[in-house]
Amino acid sequence: MRAAVLLTTIAVAALLLQTTLLPLAALGRATPDLLLIICVYLGLHQHSVGGAVGAFLLGYLQDAFSGSVVGLNAFAMCLVFTLVYLTSRHLWVDNAISKIVLVFLASVLKTTVVLLLITYFLSGATIWQAVANYLLLEAALAAMLSPAMFSVLTRTQQLAVTEEE
Amino acid sequence: MLEFVRRNRIVCTSGLLLLFSLILLSTSASTRRRMDPLTGIVLDGMWPLQRATAATVQALAGAWRTYVDLVGIRQENERLRRRVVELEQQAIRLAEVEQTDKRLEEVLNFRATLVGDLIVANIIARDPLPWFSSLTIDKGAADGVQKNAAVLSPFGVVGQTMTAGRHATRILLLTDHNSGIDAVVQRSRARGIVEGALDGRCVMKYVKRGEDLEVGDRVVTSGLDGIFPKGIMIGEVTRVTRGTRGLLQVADIQPSVPLDRIEEVLVARGAVQSAEQLP
Repeated sequence: MRAAVLLTTIAVAALLLQTTLLPLAALGRATPDLLLIICVYLGLHQHSVGGAVGAFLLGYLQDAFSGSVVGLNAFAMCLVFTLVYLTSRHLWVDNAISKIVLVFLASVLKTTVVLLLITYFLSGATIWQAVANYLLLEAALAAMLSPAMFSVLTRTQQLAVTEEE
Repeated sequence: MLEFVRRNRIVCTSGLLLLFSLILLSTSASTRRRMDPLTGIVLDGMWPLQRATAATVQALAGAWRTYVDLVGIRQENERLRRRVVELEQQAIRLAEVEQTDKRLEEVLNFRATLVGDLIVANIIARDPLPWFSSLTIDKGAADGVQKNAAVLSPFGVVGQTMTAGRHATRILLLTDHNSGIDAVVQRSRARGIVEGALDGRCVMKYVKRGEDLEVGDRVVTSGLDGIFPKGIMIGEVTRVTRGTRGLLQVADIQPSVPLDRIEEVLVARGAVQSAEQLP
């Protein structure tokens, strides 16, 4: 329970950062998706129903603060969580490099899925070119930030577990 | 069936959530509603935090921009300070060049009043001992400088060459006590020998007691010693001493050449005459 509260706090803090500080330091329009990093972390380390619900809530939170329709990011985050979870069950993803690569791929996947959904549901074909320009940069930024984020999340979880014991 | 669901509960939950998201998305997209009631609650819940964070971030960004601006101003200040120093040095160099030009022009003008072979030399050293008066110039035997040659400046007589090295020469100044120059008083044509005194002045000796000699008289070279051309300024009489007895009188002479400040001199290479002396 304590871990869930701490993770929620971190997620809120990440959302605040993503909506206030990071746009100021963004390279062009590319802003690293901090909530996605948390989602990947959940997929790697929270193998529970709570993890899946957490991923959905992260997406829902993003939907609430973005100009998109509700469910867009929620779907993408659920998909990312599921694929990361399945990957971690079948592949050894425990070193830093593989996690960085995973975050990079997850970012590319999420953006692609969101674009596909927009194209299908909202006929936003014109957005493709604009997003394609910074898709890889955004993924690279997320990958770069992932070790620090993972470190914070791991320490937080260890803290919660220690206090619960 | 239940066992399957239990074993794959995470995937099943994810599947359900994916489906739910899709329904949510489909509904939102079809009704073009960008917000559902829950989103509004989330927005309202996050609003104070977002406002506080945004204010903090803006304050920090403002402070950072101010800091960056200050750093920029500081760097600009440093750059301008260096530039001022450079320009000051440049101004000093230019003033020095201007002064040198002026001095050389005076030397050349003076050179034009003389007939003979003269070269311009720079003073490179002064006498290290206070009781001798000599200079070293940067021209020597290789430049045709010989011993006992006249050394002049636009202000008048400087002295004569003493020892000539290959590329440098020592000059015995007229103020040295070993120096003796045959001289006349310009006004009265009274003759005498100008010798150096130890205090940076000269003394005109061997002037007959009956000769007309007054303070302020100009003393020039007589041209009879075979070294200096006739009529070159030596100095001005500052005091005349006549003893109660004896045949001679003595005059203190203030040299016309500022010997402690001159930087260039003209050195004679052979006989030199004043242009006025020529027929």
